[in-house]
Amino acid sequence: MENAPPTNIKIPKKPLSIRLLKYKWFYLMFIPVLAFVIVFYYTPMVGIRYSFTKYNLIRDPVFVGLDQFKRLFSMPNFWSAFYNTLKLSIVKLLLNTGMAVVLSLLLHEMVNLKTKKLAQTIIYLPHFLSWVVAASVFQLLLSPTTAGLFNQVLLKLGIIDKGIYFLGKSSWWTPTYYVINIWKDTGWGTVIFMAALSAIDPGVYEAASIDGAGRWQKMWHITLPALAATILTVLILNLAKVMNLFESAFVLQNDAVMDKAQVLQTYIYYQTFNSGGIPDYGYTTAVGLFKSIVGMILVLVCNYASKKVRGRGIV
Amino acid sequence: MKTTPAGETAVGRRAPRKKYSLFRVLNGLFFLVFCLMILLPLWKVLVDSFDLTTGYGMKLLPEKFGIAGYTSVFTNKSLYIPLINSVITTLSGTTFGLLLSTLGAYVLIQEDMPGRGLFAFFLLFTMIFQGGMIPTYIVLRKLGLTNTLWSVILLPAINVYNLVLMRNFFDGIPKSLFESATLDGCSPLQTFIRIVLPLSKAALAAIGLMYAVAYWNDYTNYKLYITKELLYNFQMKLRSIMMGSDLPAANSGAVENTVQNAAVIVAILPFMILYPLLQRYFVTGINLGAVKE
Repeated sequence: MENAPPTNIKIPKKPLSIRLLKYKWFYLMFIPVLAFVIVFYYTPMVGIRYSFTKYNLIRDPVFVGLDQFKRLFSMPNFWSAFYNTLKLSIVKLLLNTGMAVVLSLLLHEMVNLKTKKLAQTIIYLPHFLSWVVAASVFQLLLSPTTAGLFNQVLLKLGIIDKGIYFLGKSSWWTPTYYVINIWKDTGWGTVIFMAALSAIDPGVYEAASIDGAGRWQKMWHITLPALAATILTVLILNLAKVMNLFESAFVLQNDAVMDKAQVLQTYIYYQTFNSGGIPDYGYTTAVGLFKSIVGMILVLVCNYASKKVRGRGIV
Repeated sequence: MKTTPAGETAVGRRAPRKKYSLFRVLNGLFFLVFCLMILLPLWKVLVDSFDLTTGYGMKLLPEKFGIAGYTSVFTNKSLYIPLINSVITTLSGTTFGLLLSTLGAYVLIQEDMPGRGLFAFFLLFTMIFQGGMIPTYIVLRKLGLTNTLWSVILLPAINVYNLVLMRNFFDGIPKSLFESATLDGCSPLQTFIRIVLPLSKAALAAIGLMYAVAYWNDYTNYKLYITKELLYNFQMKLRSIMMGSDLPAANSGAVENTVQNAAVIVAILPFMILYPLLQRYFVTGINLGAVKE
């Protein structure tokens, strides 16, 4: 109000009824949004009560107290899925962000603007392909049969003497998963860093050069510190989402690698829709509730960290 | 620096340096290799989709060129229905998505509207806590939306993240424009349609594209809510083709692998055609998220 132009100085707030009336059309416009959020977000939240019941969608839910959670915590499969979720998402996040920072620094050093633009266009591309497409492409590329380019090259070079099942063998699955993630998302990850880099005043580089700083010194003392806040932001924003890992693991996993590839969301999916018997929706809702609570704690911690680091929260 | 020739401005602003230093050559080479690594998997798929022999392996050009893989994809009814489904859901979903995110964003920028803070919290809370996969499934099932395209159109249409991006953009429109529109007798809805939307073309394009890509690429929602094969989108179909369970009869000499590769290409084709033209809007989209930094 302090900076308001003199024409409307310190008008006391109008009474609520008048303001309500003034905005009546806005409330009307908000109704569709409200309806969608209530139906698709808030009604499911009410549904978490099923986690305290046995429920098969045919008969009414039977209240069983905390039994589902006791069952859950005694399941080795559940704990391994929980561990895989954290491991896969966090390592993936660190790898992708690290690679994206390096790529941005190198892109930033590119002088020819046309080449730079072309390189950016190409490295952004895989981000927009679906996970189904990415999985299909790599399934074909990494196939251990004669159709798989990668294995054929390794065989020809004499590095291996038998085709490797990169996606079909536990010990290979995890590294392959990270590589595919790097292929798909690292390029796009550079966008936000490139924006931060373009905001650096060129005069700073000039001054540093006059003082005799070389390329690496400038990169280390000017460029990287300028990126630090953005790197933290990206890490915090994505850390909040680690529990949601689903599609990328789902489309790349198969029966042979489940010990490494099963994550909480896929565990819920298989227990509900692919368990062979009549699913216990109470149990899988309980797993989901556990996942949501851990996710919420992560978001709140990240939000707190974000406020400390950059002065504003993420939500 | 003033003496730097005009053609060298990008270099000139920084330290004067040799035109072809070792670093620049290596950097260029690095990106050449990196870009090739990005493109190679896609190129290999493209090549194999046109190759009618069975001995794929290391070839980077088709040995026996033919389009039988594609005729297989396009003449097979079980494949073009999923394509039509993909188009329907992408178009209608994007429309719904843009409608909801612009309406919501427009309301959220009304600074002294009573309840605005509550509305904002109501939306943002969904980013912190969700009911989860199974309760959402149960809700959709009880509403009778499962096994209808409505489930995969309506559910992803409300995307709070996109709504916030849109609000960030609307925040940048000068408030005085709204005031003068009101003085000229525009109702809020008229202001929205005549002032806000025409000024937001860049944001509409950017966020519309984000919706469109998400709908075209959607697999998770189909996997959860759709079991009728007639309602599959192309991603679902591609998945079952790749799993080998559902290969269209390989007609006119196309082999299994050729058809699989051709199906991948068809799945990415619409995007690949539009991508070079629309790339800048995608970048606009992500920068909207950074507006408030």
